[in-house]
Amino acid sequence: MAGKVVWGPEPTKQVWGSSLGRHSPSLFLQLPSNQTLRFRGNKAEAWGAALEGGIESSVVPQDCVVGEEEEEDQRPLKELPLCLEEKRRLRFLQEQAASRLSGWRLWRVEKQRTLRHLRSQAGTVMSYVVMWKSTLRHIEGHFGTGIQSYFNFLRFLVLMNFVASLLVVGFVIAPNAAFEALHLNWTGRPNNVSANASCVHYDPSAHGLVSYFSYIMDLLSGKGFMELTYLFYGYYQNSAVDFASFSYNVPLAYLLTAFFYLLFCLIWIVQRSVYCLKHSLVSEDASLGSYSNKVFAGWDFGLMQHSAVQLKHKSIRYELRMDLEEEALRRRLAERTTRQRATLYILRGLLNLLVLSLLGGGFFCIYLATSYSQWLLGSADSPVKGQYILELLVAYLPSIVITVANLLIPIIFGVIVQLEKYPLSFEIKITLLRNVFLRLASLVVLLISLWSQITCSGDPKDSNCKDCGYSHLFPCWETSVGQEMYKLLIFDLLIMLLVMLFVEFPRKILVTYLPSCPLLKLWGQQEFMVPSNVLDLVYGQTVCWTGALFCPLLPVLNTLKYIMIFYLKKLTLYANCRPAERTFRASSSNFFFLLVLLMGLTISCVPALYSMFVLPPSKSCGPFRGEPTMWNTVSNAISELPLTAQEFLEFVGSLAFAVPLFLLLSILMFYLMALAGSYSSMVKGLKGQLRLEGQDKLFLVKQISELSQ
Amino acid sequence: MGGSGSHLPRDLLGEYQELTFLSKQEILLAHRRFSELLPKEERDRGFLSRLPRSKILTLPELRANPFRHRICQVFSTADDGEGSMSFEDFLDMLSVFSDTATPEIKSHYAFRIFDFDDDGTLDKKDLENLVNCLTGEGEESRLNPVEMDQLIQNILEESDIDKDGTINLSEFQHIISRSPDFPSSFKIVL
Repeated sequence: MAGKVVWGPEPTKQVWGSSLGRHSPSLFLQLPSNQTLRFRGNKAEAWGAALEGGIESSVVPQDCVVGEEEEEDQRPLKELPLCLEEKRRLRFLQEQAASRLSGWRLWRVEKQRTLRHLRSQAGTVMSYVVMWKSTLRHIEGHFGTGIQSYFNFLRFLVLMNFVASLLVVGFVIAPNAAFEALHLNWTGRPNNVSANASCVHYDPSAHGLVSYFSYIMDLLSGKGFMELTYLFYGYYQNSAVDFASFSYNVPLAYLLTAFFYLLFCLIWIVQRSVYCLKHSLVSEDASLGSYSNKVFAGWDFGLMQHSAVQLKHKSIRYELRMDLEEEALRRRLAERTTRQRATLYILRGLLNLLVLSLLGGGFFCIYLATSYSQWLLGSADSPVKGQYILELLVAYLPSIVITVANLLIPIIFGVIVQLEKYPLSFEIKITLLRNVFLRLASLVVLLISLWSQITCSGDPKDSNCKDCGYSHLFPCWETSVGQEMYKLLIFDLLIMLLVMLFVEFPRKILVTYLPSCPLLKLWGQQEFMVPSNVLDLVYGQTVCWTGALFCPLLPVLNTLKYIMIFYLKKLTLYANCRPAERTFRASSSNFFFLLVLLMGLTISCVPALYSMFVLPPSKSCGPFRGEPTMWNTVSNAISELPLTAQEFLEFVGSLAFAVPLFLLLSILMFYLMALAGSYSSMVKGLKGQLRLEGQDKLFLVKQISELSQ
Repeated sequence: MGGSGSHLPRDLLGEYQELTFLSKQEILLAHRRFSELLPKEERDRGFLSRLPRSKILTLPELRANPFRHRICQVFSTADDGEGSMSFEDFLDMLSVFSDTATPEIKSHYAFRIFDFDDDGTLDKKDLENLVNCLTGEGEESRLNPVEMDQLIQNILEESDIDKDGTINLSEFQHIISRSPDFPSSFKIVL
């Protein structure tokens, strides 16, 4: 409907526009809406003529000051689009006006100025603290904002991980290490559950001579001596430490730290994505503004390098042509016959089936690999015992399969999507979505296979699980999960290094020194693909979150890993990459990155919450041995609180609190939805009015110019 | 600070800080860069002398920019219309292109940069010039006339809210406010 309204007056508009072009600019300039523009310098003269000579131009600042007096608290002078000379004059006038003020208002003006000054000082100080600022700026100057957004995201992750590691180190690792070093008395907690002997047996420390090689293996797989460090869940004590008048409850601290770690990440990401959403949620019709966006906001003014500028020209040209072609294509598509359309849909259906089967196959392989590796490592008489290399390979089998699947399947997806003949923008989106799904789902599959191993597929009557409530093959199952995540983290980093050393650098060398080889020409120099690189980061972060409960040092390791990645990626970017042909929009992607990150967080919260609330913690190790669930520690701690606090917390956790809260939130949501609806209808109305005003204006201008002739 | 930095009196520096979006460091850096471009004998008078456009455009930050001539034109306060810049014009420019400048002021100046004939509205001719700047000046890199017509028509359809055939400042600012990339891309930092 809206389309018709827009198209209706089109022909008349064309005539008016062209006829006005000849003789009306000066009339246009006199319209009140245009007089908001204040020009200056050599242009000011042209404007002065339009504004009836110099009288007006000297009046303008005065005018401005009068207006300024009321609203100067909102707009500092620097926000006015004037040159320094005029701003200085305005400031002088303002100061004169201020000197006439007295008492309360004078104080207010003074206060305003001091506050502004303080704020700018604080900003200057803050700008020193911002990490990697010049690096980011340099990257932006050479490769544009798209690639800079990747590094910006990486910096955010580093910062988040760093703060989170402070949390973990401060509340879990440092106290434990300090207590151990000081030999404070540990008050053991009585085991209130009588445990089967086979569940309590847990002794990971190596006996006899430990070779140098097995040290390295332990370091990589998290077994052996690594298992008995603060790295893993199993090492922590289930006791409180008393010193002076205060007792530090280790299990409680452990659990609450993990809980608040996840909560803290959630809040930070949500806060940031709301900020990004506000930027990227362009009002009602985002798709309509695409051409103007590309033309008006398309140029990166920060580009400094000649080659980058040429590339930007090319990519803008390419994008504009693509969009125009796409539009033409869409028009042609609308004319496609039913038969053609049916063939296309059938083809797409078949290809989607292929995609699904590929995903299924990949997941099945991951499942098999995990079960197989856990079985081989768990059983005492496995054939790989004693052969280090083989054992290491088996230990890393799940990581290897996941990585290979994530390297190969996206390439196949890239081929498939071209056959599906989607519009270009949608093509990029669906490829990205498929890859996100593959990445995160492969982690989920790994977790599910671990879960089915540990809980005997959720069947407590299974012969393996009968005794302890979990499989007795995993005497300390939390540590096993932690080790798996630790291995994923290490392997991710290793693969990145290997790919860089053995693929990216040789590729660059080959392309540079053998430019004539046709095969190499086809391969070309590497592009820095922002989406896939971001996916890697999100995947790594998800692994870290998943493992944080079972391996408290993981956030610290992850921080170090990301700092390393930052420098490695920067190195490979400058050494090997050329900017991508098709520019990657920083804005829309920023929000998308955070959305995927949020998805990763949700996925990693499930196993953490599940093990906190449902699974029985292992009886032979860790801070929760002897408790029916981990959360029980918190319930116990609450029962030791004063009665009022207890009652309050119980009320907060009860249905009587949750249901009204839920209702209240629903009502709020409906209210906001109604508000949004009314705003959008108001915008529509105003737009219509504006169009009418424009027509009126044109009509009047035409009349005047006719009369004046 | 060394030689050139000391020429900037303290009270002037404070004033610049108040009237622009630049921090003290940025102003000092700008002053140093500006002085480096001045011929030796004029360096003492620092912020009083003007640099001709050709000199300003030797800055690597501007050299490759397709809008460099327009930027000089818009920010120059010289009467000759040659686009020569004084130090204060230079600061004005850096202030608008700085990180902290508000989107409103950025879009205001973007409008003036894109308004090639300085008539206060973006008409078809301006848009054509703008697109040519974006795609590169060479004959083979331009869009062909059919594409250009289609593109300009699309742009006007999207942005020209009151349908008078041109885009005025408020329409421009409206469309820019919906482009989240703009504040980060409309940026030149020394």
